Amino acid sequence: MTLTQLAAKNLLRNKFRAILTVLGVAVAILTFMLLRTVTSAWTSAADFAAKDRVVTRHKITFIMTLPKRYIEQVRQVPGVKVSSYSNWFGGKDPKHEHEFFACFATEGATFFQVYDEAQVTDAERERWMQDRRGAVVGDVLAKKMGWKVGDKVSLESGIYRGTWEFNIDAIYTSTRRSLDRSQFVFHWDYLNESAPIEMRDQIGWIVSRVNDPSRAAEIGTEIDKAFDDRDPQTLSQDERAFQASFLAMMSAVLKAIDVVSLAIMLIMMLILGNTIAMGVRERVSEYGTLRALGFLPHHIVAFILIESLLIGVSGGVLGVALSYPIVERGLGRWIEENMGSFLPYFRINPGTIGVAIALAVLLGGVAASVPAYRASKLNVIDALRRVG
Amino acid sequence: MSNQPALIKLRALKKTYTRGDESLTVLSGFDLDIPEGSFEALMGPSGSGKTTLLNIIAGLDRPTSGTLEVAGERIDSLSESALAKWRARNIGFIFQSYNLIPVLTALENVELPLLLTNLDAAERKKRAETALRVVGLEHRMGHYPKQLSGGQEQRVAIARALVNDPKLFVADEPTGDLDRQSADEILALLEKLNKEFNKTIVMVTHDPAAAERASITRRLNKGALE
Repeated sequence: MTLTQLAAKNLLRNKFRAILTVLGVAVAILTFMLLRTVTSAWTSAADFAAKDRVVTRHKITFIMTLPKRYIEQVRQVPGVKVSSYSNWFGGKDPKHEHEFFACFATEGATFFQVYDEAQVTDAERERWMQDRRGAVVGDVLAKKMGWKVGDKVSLESGIYRGTWEFNIDAIYTSTRRSLDRSQFVFHWDYLNESAPIEMRDQIGWIVSRVNDPSRAAEIGTEIDKAFDDRDPQTLSQDERAFQASFLAMMSAVLKAIDVVSLAIMLIMMLILGNTIAMGVRERVSEYGTLRALGFLPHHIVAFILIESLLIGVSGGVLGVALSYPIVERGLGRWIEENMGSFLPYFRINPGTIGVAIALAVLLGGVAASVPAYRASKLNVIDALRRVG
Repeated sequence: MSNQPALIKLRALKKTYTRGDESLTVLSGFDLDIPEGSFEALMGPSGSGKTTLLNIIAGLDRPTSGTLEVAGERIDSLSESALAKWRARNIGFIFQSYNLIPVLTALENVELPLLLTNLDAAERKKRAETALRVVGLEHRMGHYPKQLSGGQEQRVAIARALVNDPKLFVADEPTGDLDRQSADEILALLEKLNKEFNKTIVMVTHDPAAAERASITRRLNKGALE
């Protein structure tokens, strides 16, 4: 027998309480990991952005539109290989009111050149190019909505009034995570021809592929310079910066998630501290006996600390072990498929595991500190008197 | 027995408890020599100071004034940590309620004081087994306290007290929680320790039958030796 074994035996004295406490720590660690994974997945979305794409939009906000003629000028900027333009349509399927998906009109001729990771067959692409009402949808969205090539789909838009009819001509997959597989894309001409006069010949944003990814920011500046003396002016960013600026709007939410995850750990620490304190109160006479036998105050601190650390580490390991199947096999895959535009890679970051285990150890240590200190200060005779 | 040199020497030993403005003298300042190899019973009414005296002799409590010497070593001036180490080496404790650790087996309970020594695991186990054999519980080594009778628990506690081979055993009402038969068995065991192993035993008891087993019986009353 060793001192550590003695501490471990103490831990199993009340098995039901020990199991509940370990489960409590495990749930706290699991929750912490899920929340941290949300924040890291969110912020890492920008990491998957294409490095050779520059997005140009209205300087004030991407809600405001640009004149369509701007596209020609962008295409003249040195370093720009190909440019495409799009308008946010905000379409919704009345049959699936609660399903959100990115829906926009784009220039068909250049879409697959700008988004070269989008994969459709040549026949599908040809059919789409020939079909004024044709639409291309991501495979994840098609699966979710039950759409297949050849289907006729009616969408409603909060921006462009009325019911819009589309033919599903192609379903794309993607060779990289930089493209959301839950998008609905259709011809800009169809939108422009049917839109109210005041909304015609307007585009929401321009996406350009550049020859040299390392010059993307520089080329973006050149594009903006071309419109310096025009109204409206533009703001061009590489796709990563564009996504980052979008994420910046969500920073308050991400901070709130961080605060919640830390609050959960704090609550668990208090619960664990109370559990340890209860155990210590029940064993005062035993600590008195140990002290009488010659054990020193630091031995008592070690017993309590080891016991609490064992709970913390067991709960931490269990929480991490549970998080893997939940995230890697279930939730993560579902989120990537259904919320791919925001969270393209929802997987546990190895760094998060390290932080979670470190927090579990810290949780055990801090929770035990007060009960351990108090137990070490017990008067031996008073402690022995607690014997029934 | 009285010709033996004194193992324990108390001089002008006084113990006073103070609470607020009030002070209570529990031991009034007396001298006492306890010879090596004696088996002494301390008797007296409740509140007479028996347990306080026992706690001071065992190094659990300190006198307010006076001196305490055990085996030639001044105990009253030791630091807390030195006193704890001294207890581990020199004192075998036997408590009224046995004070075994419920999550440990009989063998592990007996091994407990040896964790403070430099002995390896095999040697600790061997010594604990020997101690349990001395008290006649070699067949109960793997049993937990709740699986033992009161008398058996007290025998495990005695094995724990003797495993370090201390010179002095202090027993506080060792038969207080036992039936007559078990009490007699425990007293017989203490007699054996005293006579066969020449251990000095100081026992606090209310039980006249227990006191009869002791070689010397001392009585305390209102903090003074009669």
